Amino acid sequence: MLQFITHYTNTISYLDSVRLALEGGCRWVQLRMKGASEEKMLPVALEAQRMCREAGATFIIDDHVELVRRIGADGVHLGKNDMPIDEARSILGSGFIIGGTANTFDDVLMHHRRGADYIGCGPFRFTTTKEKLSPVLGLEGYRSIMEQMKAAGLDMPVVAIGGITAADIPSIMATGVTGIALSGSVLRAADPAAEMARLIAITENVKHI
Amino acid sequence: MKIYINRQETETSATTVQELAQSLNLPERGVALAINNAIVQRSQWAQTTLGEDDRITIIKAAFGG
Repeated sequence: MLQFITHYTNTISYLDSVRLALEGGCRWVQLRMKGASEEKMLPVALEAQRMCREAGATFIIDDHVELVRRIGADGVHLGKNDMPIDEARSILGSGFIIGGTANTFDDVLMHHRRGADYIGCGPFRFTTTKEKLSPVLGLEGYRSIMEQMKAAGLDMPVVAIGGITAADIPSIMATGVTGIALSGSVLRAADPAAEMARLIAITENVKHI
Repeated sequence: MKIYINRQETETSATTVQELAQSLNLPERGVALAINNAIVQRSQWAQTTLGEDDRITIIKAAFGG
């Protein structure tokens, strides 16, 4: 499965990016507007949520737990410097998806204990999208984390993130991760909706257990 | 029929995603579900049939404890 994380360029707004992702067949959108206040995000979030509902897509918001509760989004994604997952869970209850960013197996374990529903695991490689960078994982990093999860009996879905391109997807999926999260690379394509469709097809064509 | 739910082998008598969702008591909202890596939107659950060895991914609050 493929998650699109909103982004913008000189010509594409956050809402445009949601529209293009949905047009390309994406059914899991994370609204991320780094540094934006809840009040600034509210109108964008409401419109993005409306578009996602219409398309039958799951809609989650980065960081803003209160906004998620307020508008009834499907869930929240929490980065390493955001609210701890157990605190978000106590605010949101069990009816919302809560995802957490992990860079190591220890992060995965911590998120699991605190009640996360999925893990955004990365970065796969160096990326300029995120300002605060953790060490890159590469394929070996995913293999190692997935093996440790299996050994520990953790079956939480893991979404790989961070500078992933189309050519990387088959080998990353082969490490056993559940899905891929993409952001900037989709919007840099000449036809972002077509690029999204192509990336989804690549992700779905991977056959493995 | 044998399917895999979040990588765990599971026996189910459900024939559609909707039946599976009911048997797992999935809530009305806040769930993302994929079969063999492809997300199935909720409006398609009733008409989407399950096949032997399908790999189901469910992302849902506190799924399976």
